[in-house]
Amino acid sequence: MFVLALNSVRHRPGRFVATLLSAFLGAAIVMTFNSLHDTAGARGVDEVSAESMTTAATVVGGYGSLLAFFAVASTLTVNVRGRAEEIRLLRSTGATPAQITWMVVGEAVVVGPVGALLAIAPSMLAGRLLLEMFQDSGQVARDVAYAFGPVALGSGLVVTLSASVGAAFLAVRRATRAASGAGRSGGRARRFAGYGALAAGAASVLSTLALDATDPMAMAPAAYGSILLAAGFAVFSPVLLRAVLGRLARPVEAVAGGSGHLAVHTMRRRAAELSGVLMPLILFTGMATATLYMQAVENDVIRAAGLTRSVDDKNLETLNLVVVGVIVVFSCVMLINSLYAATSFRRREFGQQRLAGATPGQVLGTVGCEGLLLTATGVFFGTVAGLAGILPFTYARTDGIRPGQGFGIWLGIVAVAAAATLVTSLWTARLTLRTPAVDAVAA
Amino acid sequence: MFRRSQQEHSPRAATALRLVSVSKVYGTAQSAVTALDGVTLSLGAGTFTAVMGPSGSGKSTLLQCAAGLDRPDRGRVVVDGEEMTGGTEARLTKFRRQRVGFVFQQYNLLPTLTVAQNTALPLKLAGRRVDQERVREILTQVGLGDRLGHRPDQLSGGQRQRVAIARALVTEPGVVFADEPTGALDTRGAREVLRLLQRAVRVHGRTVVMVTHDPVAASYADTVLFLADGRLAGHLSGPTVDAVAERLAHLGDRVRDDAPTGV
Ligand SMILES: Nc1ncnc2c1ncn2[C@@H]1O[C@H](COP(=O)(O)OP(=O)(O)OP(=O)(O)O)[C@@H](O)[C@H]1O
Ligand SMILES: [Mg+2]
Repeated sequence: MFVLALNSVRHRPGRFVATLLSAFLGAAIVMTFNSLHDTAGARGVDEVSAESMTTAATVVGGYGSLLAFFAVASTLTVNVRGRAEEIRLLRSTGATPAQITWMVVGEAVVVGPVGALLAIAPSMLAGRLLLEMFQDSGQVARDVAYAFGPVALGSGLVVTLSASVGAAFLAVRRATRAASGAGRSGGRARRFAGYGALAAGAASVLSTLALDATDPMAMAPAAYGSILLAAGFAVFSPVLLRAVLGRLARPVEAVAGGSGHLAVHTMRRRAAELSGVLMPLILFTGMATATLYMQAVENDVIRAAGLTRSVDDKNLETLNLVVVGVIVVFSCVMLINSLYAATSFRRREFGQQRLAGATPGQVLGTVGCEGLLLTATGVFFGTVAGLAGILPFTYARTDGIRPGQGFGIWLGIVAVAAAATLVTSLWTARLTLRTPAVDAVAA
Repeated sequence: MFRRSQQEHSPRAATALRLVSVSKVYGTAQSAVTALDGVTLSLGAGTFTAVMGPSGSGKSTLLQCAAGLDRPDRGRVVVDGEEMTGGTEARLTKFRRQRVGFVFQQYNLLPTLTVAQNTALPLKLAGRRVDQERVREILTQVGLGDRLGHRPDQLSGGQRQRVAIARALVTEPGVVFADEPTGALDTRGAREVLRLLQRAVRVHGRTVVMVTHDPVAASYADTVLFLADGRLAGHLSGPTVDAVAERLAHLGDRVRDDAPTGV
């Protein structure tokens, strides 16, 4: 079966582009920040420099790794779900569930580390740039040399491998069970994991309150908490989505006609599957909201502490924003990546809609409606997850609860989320419409 | 199910389907395959026609070109008195909505919609009013009146194909095309599907064109058209199973004689 897995990677590489890209980006983020641990641990690094780097690596490297873990896992889930048809076919040609599981997990074992290995060189480059920024801001002494060592490499491999293999295993187990007609008994483990993530997230967020007001690590538990809450919400979002769709059926149909009709009914049915797509959407909104606002608060505090703004302060502010920006861009790319994968797997479904009498415009209309509903759900949960991190952090740092920043950042985040979701899914759907409908359903 | 609502359509043309020198070539240069080679035919309204021929003889291509799912390279296609002109996929889709129903071997129902929703979908997409009572009636007539809320994956293959037939008939099209509609079914499921198609023609005056490999299926039709190498190779009226089988066997001979190199 491992041979089968290798073959399947070799012969249809297109399907693995998305998973490979997610492993690559995930590993790059993890390794870039964690290489600061290696750099700080080298001999001859002075104490101050080491501490700044260790703090950054622990905070950003830590929640960056958690974020990468969920992002890679959700792409893998989307990939396996999109291949339900192929899995059914394999079963009907005599493959046992264990064989199919080994095949899909085998693919993950190949793709995960390949992505991580490809990410080594870019991570070294990015890590070096990061170090330079630290040096420019005066956080780290000029004579510290960049190092890329076991911590970076190990964490990159562990995060991508465990996320992709774990997600592949869970998703394929569900797929083979569904194919064999046994009910969806996997739901319980999933709910359990969801509750776990919510509980851990809440605890992490609340622990921020116990920290000292000046603790440089205060952002870590808040960010961890936001990510965990986002992941937990993603597990339960289908329930809400289904309930909302039940209400929305009539109005959406009235506004969007046949397209709206298809969108609402398709989404209600596929609600459970949509959590794979909602995960990166909620993560992006939650992460972007949490980190951007927290960083803004942090910068305000730094600014208030120094009476005049020195060059160093300014550099520090830039550094912080760059670090946070990297994380936000990363989660946005992951969102685009898994939406692309999820949409391109629907070629057959779109073909069936066209054969039933939908014009290409109506297919795109359906995708657009779905995109709007997804964005609304994702933004809602993402905002809740983000706020859960922001409020205690702001309280710990400033005594107030609400950050001084207005809604501007949030509106920008929502706009980016909506644009990424709509543009990616519409553009991908348009690509699949190039295939004649008859061929699309046969493929 | 097969009742007509007068106000929505212009009067039905006497010739339901007309093809004039229709040709279709796939691929280019060396790899070009002539799937249809100047096919001309004319089918009257209210007829049940089977199309038979060896694998690769162009049956599916013929059906898809006639149904507006594919564009012929040359020739004219007239469905229900209206000539199919090229243009965008959206235009072809709108043409099909009004005049053509299609039944596929693999059903192609939408897995996320219920039986009733699948049946009503072509009407919804065409922006026509959906009369739930009529959807129920049509599904009752295909024997699925008690399965309205089921999903396709809760039905047997034969039941799914009957939903597909209901969906193809609900728009009251000029011609219903079926490409091996019984190909994936067992004997009983196949018989039910064939009886439905036959009844649509005999009782309700629909026009059906069906591709099949099975002489038994073909014997339900009024006429069998034979296709070989993309050309019409004769027809048979009032087909019996034996007559069809024999004719098919000879068709095989002829094809082999024509191509002694065995390409
Ligand atoms: N999309 C395509 N691209 C290239 N060649 C094609 C395509 N579709 C059909 N052909 C070729 O056109 C010829 C006719 O195909 P068609 O599918 O119409 O045959 P058929 O009579 O339906 O066969 P079968 O009984 O096996 O379904 C075949 O030689 C086939 O290989
Ligand atoms: Mg065929």
